[in-house]
Amino acid sequence: MNAVIQTILIGIVIGALYGLVGLGFGLIMGVMKFVNIAHGSFIIIGGYIAYWVFTLWGVDPFLSIPAVMFVMFFMGLILYRLVLSPLLKYPRAEMRIDKSLLVTFGVTWILDNVVTMLWTSDTRSIVTAYTGTTFNVFGARLGLTGLIGLVIAVLVAVALQLLLTRTYFGKHVRAATEDSGAASLSGVNVQRTYLISCGIAAAMAGVAGVVIVSCYSIAPSMGLSWLLTAMVVIVLAGEGNIAYMLPAGLILGLIQAISTLFISCAYQQPISLIIFILVLMFKPNGLFARGR
Amino acid sequence: MRLSSPSILRSAFRDGVIMSLLEVENVSKHFGGVMAVNNVSLTLDQGEIVGLIGPNGAGKSTLFNLISGVIKPDTGAIRFETRDITPTAPDRVCQYGIARTFQLVRPFNQLSPLQNVMVGRVYGSAPAKTMKQARHESEEILSLTGLADKKVRMAGMLGLVDRKRLEIARALATRPKLLLLDEMMTGLNLTEMAAAIALIKGIRDSGITLIVVEHVMKVIMGISDRIIVLNVGEKIADGSPRKVANNRKVIEAYLGEKPLC
Amino acid sequence: MAHWKKLSILTLILALLAIVPLVMELGSNVMNVMVTLFIYIILAQSWNLIGGYTGQVNLGIVAFFGISAMVTHFLWKAGAPIYLAIPTGSLSSVVLAALIGLPTLRLRGMYFAVGTLALAQAAQTIVANIFTRSVSMPGSFSATYSLMPRYYLGLIMVVIAITVVYVITRTKIGLAMVAIRDDEQAAQVTGVRVFKYKVIAFLISGILAGLAGGLYAYVRLSFWQISIVFSPSWTFDALLAVVIGGAGTLAGPVIGSVFLVVISEIFANTLGQAHLILFGLLFILVVIYFPYGLIGSVDRIHQLITRVRK
Ligand SMILES: Nc1ncnc2c1ncn2[C@@H]1O[C@H](COP(=O)(O)OP(=O)(O)O)[C@@H](O)[C@H]1O
Ligand SMILES: [Mg+2]
Repeated sequence: MNAVIQTILIGIVIGALYGLVGLGFGLIMGVMKFVNIAHGSFIIIGGYIAYWVFTLWGVDPFLSIPAVMFVMFFMGLILYRLVLSPLLKYPRAEMRIDKSLLVTFGVTWILDNVVTMLWTSDTRSIVTAYTGTTFNVFGARLGLTGLIGLVIAVLVAVALQLLLTRTYFGKHVRAATEDSGAASLSGVNVQRTYLISCGIAAAMAGVAGVVIVSCYSIAPSMGLSWLLTAMVVIVLAGEGNIAYMLPAGLILGLIQAISTLFISCAYQQPISLIIFILVLMFKPNGLFARGR
Repeated sequence: MRLSSPSILRSAFRDGVIMSLLEVENVSKHFGGVMAVNNVSLTLDQGEIVGLIGPNGAGKSTLFNLISGVIKPDTGAIRFETRDITPTAPDRVCQYGIARTFQLVRPFNQLSPLQNVMVGRVYGSAPAKTMKQARHESEEILSLTGLADKKVRMAGMLGLVDRKRLEIARALATRPKLLLLDEMMTGLNLTEMAAAIALIKGIRDSGITLIVVEHVMKVIMGISDRIIVLNVGEKIADGSPRKVANNRKVIEAYLGEKPLC
Repeated sequence: MAHWKKLSILTLILALLAIVPLVMELGSNVMNVMVTLFIYIILAQSWNLIGGYTGQVNLGIVAFFGISAMVTHFLWKAGAPIYLAIPTGSLSSVVLAALIGLPTLRLRGMYFAVGTLALAQAAQTIVANIFTRSVSMPGSFSATYSLMPRYYLGLIMVVIAITVVYVITRTKIGLAMVAIRDDEQAAQVTGVRVFKYKVIAFLISGILAGLAGGLYAYVRLSFWQISIVFSPSWTFDALLAVVIGGAGTLAGPVIGSVFLVVISEIFANTLGQAHLILFGLLFILVVIYFPYGLIGSVDRIHQLITRVRK
């Protein structure tokens, strides 16, 4: 019984993180129909920044989140300005997707090499005074860092949802998502909306990176598997369904956690892949799509 | 653009017997909350030119997508000749003898005009036996559609009018029995329009049945044997051009737009 | 006329490549670079077939390279002659291509790209978990090691790869491939069975990548970890060569590979890992501003010149 509760707890904690990982990726894809292969690398870089700030100045990783978000926001702006905005010249969505796949694959290549040069290819994690602290929840153990990560993921998801539904900016984002042509005719600055969305997406990747480096660990080569996680979450939630990212992440986290009861955890990634392909084949619009 | 040798366009199936070529039966399709096509039925006889009209968003292009198999209906059935093609993939539908053009032209931009047409000759119904034969026949089709002297490397370099012609050429190259033309004349000037009308009539004379979506009423009323009117996804009229033009529902649907004829 | 001109130039290049090492001592450095170049060209042509001609962005081509390299290595070590080991390696690539392609080629573009990327990554992880120790051929192999047979086998395989791509693009299959690349749906309503031709292109691409992998296993006798043959840098290099040279052309990947190998010979020693970053920047620039690669740019300049002359 305890083992079951433990598994569910692990699933929820990591699932919320998965939702967070999916958010930034889904935002860029939903709003501008670009695929950002570098999303995983952004996450890793966010984690390394927190790691750096921690080792150099001893700043608590969770307190460094605003700074990480700030830096990553600018990285997002740069990504948009230099790499993505030139692709807007392609009118057809398929062309944009293919081109953005290629260029952001190039960006990933650059970032991963830069990260390896700066921090070597070793695996890193942050160990603070409270890292080992755990609570007892119905006889199962819940780590403090995991709990903080869970809270942060939920906060970020809710904040993004509010931003998209309750603000002027959110209105612009939705207008640009539905029909960029019509939006710009009705006075929305589509370019600026794209730019800021990209910044926000990168900032959210950064937050995810901080949570990962505090609760788990990072290495330059891990960007790819986080990218895959983001992709699976998007597929589960249904493209453009920002509101369902967190639930989708939780479902994925729970499935993975439960699967470890039966299968070695070395095969988590293949399991994600199988889920990814099965969902795409049988529920191409996501688990939450109503009707057809 | 004169049809000097219509034999190349002649469809394989042709015996003069009047039978219904296409039957669309109670077909519906919705996108989210929008009923794009709502319980539409129609039949098409061999050798007709049917004009399909309706205000923007009426569901004309969606109906073409349904007939060509690009999307599947929520309910209803589509029969072509004796086959039920409701669940059939678009490539099969094409091989059975239905070809189409797209409202927003979509030639293969990086291929030459000749290659564009060859795709139809190689993969359509009654495909050419060899690449050499396909090339030869495709050249003929290009000259029939007035593209023989457009020697560009990539179709994307052609002007809009020529790209539209190329789409017709590619569709004809599949040797269709039924051809669906979606707003071919939008953006053409009067001379080009006259040429396009001649082409459409030539295609019909070679034995191909056509459904033509157009917004220019004069043109559509002039060339069609029969007019079908869609409005908000529903069929509101089906009959001779004269009857349809005087139909009360049709006039209401077009109220605020240009008067018919 | 132009056709004959091209053919005679090609024959000349080929003759030179075949004869020069026999009459001249090139030194192991140059020979090594040439063999590397051959591997790149074959792998680039493989990516060209699926990515350049068919328009399917395969970010996991290294999986086919890697499995063939691995199979070739182990078969060869087990005593099979190399001319049997490499084809068997390629065969394993085709099998893997079928396993990966059948589910992923039905997916839309971006899912295909990420799916292949992830599957290749999974392959690396699995292999790394299974073979944790370094592997190498027995000492007797390195004692008799010579670059000559590697050079000639590589040259033959390059000729095979280029011929395969040339022939395929001239057939009905090639026509379907480029139509699918330009507009999948338009191809479909013109009668092309899109999935079928994607699978065909994917499988042939798998064979070619397998040849490259087999050649690599023949050239390199020891690996501190066999899983490095699944390193994503192979995918990146193949993409880079194709995109820089000109995707969807026969000469593009060859030119791109030459460019890549020459540049990395120049910079790898002076810049170290930073030269990889340089490649990344170059790649992005080319994708954004020169969508038809070097070949396309040359073509465009040629057009401008002829226009000015007129
Ligand atoms: N792929 C689609 N997704 C969502 N809505 C669509 C799609 N295709 C068509 N529609 C909607 O269906 C309705 C009919 O569109 P359409 O068939 O293009 O009309 P028409 O060709 O008569 O102008 C419109 O409201 C349009 O917005
Ligand atoms: Mg329309």
